[in-house]
Amino acid sequence: MNAQQPITILIAALGGEGGGVVAEWLVDIATRAGHPAQATSIPGVAQRTGATTYYVEIHSQTRVELGGRTPVLSLAPVPGCVDLMVASELLEAVRAIHNGFVSLERTTLLASSQRTLTTFEKLAPGDGRFDSERLLQVAAANCRQLASFDVAATARETGTVPSAVLCGAIAGSGVLPFARVAFEEVIGASGRGVEASLRGFALGFERCGAALGGAPAPTLAAQADLIALGHARVVEFQDAAYGELYRQRVERLREAERRADPQARHGAELAREGARFLALWMAFDDVIRVADLKSRAGRFARVRAEAGAAAGDLLRIADHFKPGVTELAGLLPPSTGQRLLAWEGRRRQAGKAPLGLALKLRADSIFGFLALRLLAGLRPLRRRGQRYAAEQVLIERWLAAVEQAAARDWQAGFELALCARLVKGYGATNERAKDNLRHIVEHLAHKDAADIARARSAALADEAGSGLDQALLQAGAPPRAIKPVPVRWFKAGAR
Amino acid sequence: MEVSFSKEVDQLRLGAGETLHGEGILAITKALLQSGVAYVGGYQGAPVSHLLDVMVQAADYMAELGVHVEACSNEASAAAMLGASIHYPLRGAVTWKSVVGTNVAADALSNLASPGVVGGALIIVGEDYGEGASVIQERSHAFAMKSSLLLLDPRPQLPNMVRMVSHGFALSEACNTPAILQLRVRACHVRGSFECRDNVAPAVSRKALLAEPARFDYEKLAHPPATFRQEKLKTEQRLPAARRYIVEQGLNEIFAGRRNDIGIIVQGGLHNTLVRALQQFNLADAFGAAEFPILALNVTYPLVPQQIADFCRGKRAVLVVEEGQPEYIEQEIATTLRREDHGNTGTAIHGKDLLQMAGEYTVEVVAAGLVKFLARHTADLPLAAAQDWLAANAARRQAVADQLAAPLPPRPPQFCTGCPERPVFSALKLAQANVGPVHVAADIGCHSFATFEPFGFGHTILGYGMSLASRAGVSPMLGRRALAVMGDGGFWHNGLLTGVESALFNKTDAVLLIMKNGYTAATGTQEIISTPDEAQKAGAPDKRLSLVDRNQTIERTLTGLGVSWLRTVPSYEVDAMRRTLEEAFTTGVGGLKVIVAAGECQLERQRRVKPWLAGLLKAGRRVVKVKYGVDADVCSGDHSCIRLSGCPTLTLKDSDDPLKVDPVATVIDGCVGCGLCGENAHAATLCPSFYRVEVVQNPGLAERALAAIRRGFIGMWQPA
Repeated sequence: MNAQQPITILIAALGGEGGGVVAEWLVDIATRAGHPAQATSIPGVAQRTGATTYYVEIHSQTRVELGGRTPVLSLAPVPGCVDLMVASELLEAVRAIHNGFVSLERTTLLASSQRTLTTFEKLAPGDGRFDSERLLQVAAANCRQLASFDVAATARETGTVPSAVLCGAIAGSGVLPFARVAFEEVIGASGRGVEASLRGFALGFERCGAALGGAPAPTLAAQADLIALGHARVVEFQDAAYGELYRQRVERLREAERRADPQARHGAELAREGARFLALWMAFDDVIRVADLKSRAGRFARVRAEAGAAAGDLLRIADHFKPGVTELAGLLPPSTGQRLLAWEGRRRQAGKAPLGLALKLRADSIFGFLALRLLAGLRPLRRRGQRYAAEQVLIERWLAAVEQAAARDWQAGFELALCARLVKGYGATNERAKDNLRHIVEHLAHKDAADIARARSAALADEAGSGLDQALLQAGAPPRAIKPVPVRWFKAGAR
Repeated sequence: MEVSFSKEVDQLRLGAGETLHGEGILAITKALLQSGVAYVGGYQGAPVSHLLDVMVQAADYMAELGVHVEACSNEASAAAMLGASIHYPLRGAVTWKSVVGTNVAADALSNLASPGVVGGALIIVGEDYGEGASVIQERSHAFAMKSSLLLLDPRPQLPNMVRMVSHGFALSEACNTPAILQLRVRACHVRGSFECRDNVAPAVSRKALLAEPARFDYEKLAHPPATFRQEKLKTEQRLPAARRYIVEQGLNEIFAGRRNDIGIIVQGGLHNTLVRALQQFNLADAFGAAEFPILALNVTYPLVPQQIADFCRGKRAVLVVEEGQPEYIEQEIATTLRREDHGNTGTAIHGKDLLQMAGEYTVEVVAAGLVKFLARHTADLPLAAAQDWLAANAARRQAVADQLAAPLPPRPPQFCTGCPERPVFSALKLAQANVGPVHVAADIGCHSFATFEPFGFGHTILGYGMSLASRAGVSPMLGRRALAVMGDGGFWHNGLLTGVESALFNKTDAVLLIMKNGYTAATGTQEIISTPDEAQKAGAPDKRLSLVDRNQTIERTLTGLGVSWLRTVPSYEVDAMRRTLEEAFTTGVGGLKVIVAAGECQLERQRRVKPWLAGLLKAGRRVVKVKYGVDADVCSGDHSCIRLSGCPTLTLKDSDDPLKVDPVATVIDGCVGCGLCGENAHAATLCPSFYRVEVVQNPGLAERALAAIRRGFIGMWQPA
């Protein structure tokens, strides 16, 4: 490093994480050591949990060495000219890299391995998350050296905030010409929560040292036996006979795959993935299932742990339910259920709000618990209900379509099998998802595998379904029918 | 107020020889006191919010000095406050965010500039331009030119910024002209240090009162015929006086170079950027000593033609580095040189022909312009280092984009965890699902975050408090009613008159939704006239509750003006809000319909709640903490809850269930238990996976006994 050049530090953080505090500490440390230092930031409204950056420059000579000369320090980071890049979140580290700040020759990168998902990533009905493995690879491939560990978890472990841990990591990186004690002195003088800050600092220092140079090992999950799991799920949901039905359906998938791919070149993936979604679908979430899951001992323990309750604390659990006509009809015999649904449909067409009973049920009270167990006890009746019958009809249609498509082309059958992933959610979301699947089964089953795959991805990416309609059109299939919406009002005097 | 400045307030008291360490805006504040300022006002807004916040929090010390501090209702009122300096030898300073604040202040500024001032008048504007800016991108420079105001753009180094404040007052007095001191975003937040001088208590102040008002003087009125003479005074006396002072006091700085055949003229605020750009060519050292001379304009209006001509004399070419468009400075320099010596000065002037026209001048942008400039006018200077660096940056970005294969998701700001405004937009989303889409006139404030995912609401933003006014031409043309969204900050800043009064007067059929959170929250939760007062906060038995209902100023004002359809709905009641919105959209009642969404800013509530709960726990008292959660085995991973909320603590995690491939929803640490998850689950009939959990710490004997009975009973019947 040129003795006359400043040491440059860029900190990427999310609003409210204390990135400004780190910058302030660094300036204090440098100033105490006699170095000219400067920090800037552009918080603005980004302080409301948006992405923001803080930038610090420390001149490498002390004021004494400078003998009265004043260095000109930059207010903004310069691409490729950053010595130390610190990011409290993995995506933000990569954003800084993408913006060109991090240099392969010059920059030491301290990046938290933890992800705070952006709203954008959370919206998709499927999985819209950016691939973390890829982020980490890009981070490792584009800096001089990388130290990556989970800053947020380290802060939680030590009962402090990310800023203290980041400061520890900065000290541990060895990029700045200051001793560890210099950092600790400034943190010690900062006032509130000093002990916790110093604990976080120490662990950040240690973890950064350990992580420097060592590439994080990717974690490989063991392949689970999905068919066995699926069978267990279905039996638990209903009974052994229903489990048997599951086995028969899986056998049909297997048979279809054997014919399409006798050499098992695709590793029996169609049957495996089809069995996965078939199990989830067959064990559909109805009132009975939800009541059962909500009243189990394991669930109570999990809630206690997630709430962070200590041993002597009491817990009150209130569940939000809103059973409506659909849920009730689902439990009634098909003919009665259908009539009830038709009645509700007419009401909705007339512009009336859907009927529903908003409940806040205390699962930990004797009354609430008994109510849940009572509902869970209705399990034997499920098979005779309208919902059960409706789900079986659609499952059979999907299964037959997969068989036909596979007979034509393994890939098409596989893509169609994967389409069962669309079926999820409750109430209107579930209905819309099944409408989408029905439409795909009806109009795309005989099309190219690529068309089916595109339609599925589109349906999983956006709820409104405009992407799906586009994919349908592109495949030469009709777009989904526009649902009639009642005209409810106009402005006074208009029309 | 969001930020506490107790440490900074202490620093304001520092005396001669002591060193102040802190932000640019704090240095400016201290410089005001060192200059004997008598009154201070302004309107908050990034990046200058802290100036006023510090002053307001330092009320005791200000009173000691006799300085008057006023939190003005908008920038126009702040600008009008400077009227005090027209007759009286009072130094006054006001501050706001520019260009938007200057727009609002423009009427008063013109009427101030015309008669001119006898006491120094300084306007400190945060030039919200470039990275991190939150407003339209325009220059404040035009205002200085059209009203003949002085414009200072100091080199962003604390001692120089402080020096320019003190000169700003003196310059303003020397030429009877108000001065604007312009600070870019990063300069406001730059953290450095400078050596202080003693503060000066103003000669005339709240402690040293004037016995009599000034005598009547028609010439001090911005009123004809005085205005005709005043316009001439500006050009014949005031600006020449300003130029004399600028030269005599050396306000603009000339940094000599090793050679004189070319030179650079730069706005003071960009000097550091220019030096760093030159360093990429190895044409400047760490201390700013460059290969060729640099004229740094700490005063960018007026320019001093003689100084410009002198600087350019003998140079083959000069580059003007001027941020933003149009290139006012460059045009004036070109005119100046053209007028010299029949236009035969032999100096080529470059600027926007080589540098990018619009947008922030980063080191890279300036370096790219320098490459073109030097290539054209020097043959002997090595450009390879900078060219390689620029090429490497471009290559690096491309390579990383290729490695990523997909665009990185953006991360705009969003509603805070537990924000009372988020539920209102959840309700609007549901209401529109029932009644069809409506035209939404959006406004400035936290609620404009609803323009981002997962809501995407807002057709236009026409300025602070302008939403209701901005739909006046739209709603008569639409079959459905239009909705105007306004915060209480915008309501008091402007919206009451431009929107409400106008709509009532014109008997317009419109719907106005006011977010009554009690503060101007987006600018740092500053207080307004409808903020619940301190006594109410101190007296509230449960500090978690919203207190905005304790202050009815907005409701009383609306009723007083004649609003008859007025509904107040607590923000978090999603279904009630949905019904109220639907009613407002569909009712046969014409005229203005106002819905007040009442819910106190969560940041302010948490400031009360955290110490309160900590105190209760420390004393061993009973505390109930509320949090929401999602049962992962019930969640099917369709994320419709997130599409209706967007709360930072409602996020995704990998499913523990090996069968499920899609991530499931989860509520992470930081949930403040606002209740939106439960409200949405009910209002939208989402899914039954949400639960509300109350953790009772230090429970009483009776409830412990009851809990034990429940546990015993449930334990007998509960499956694993």
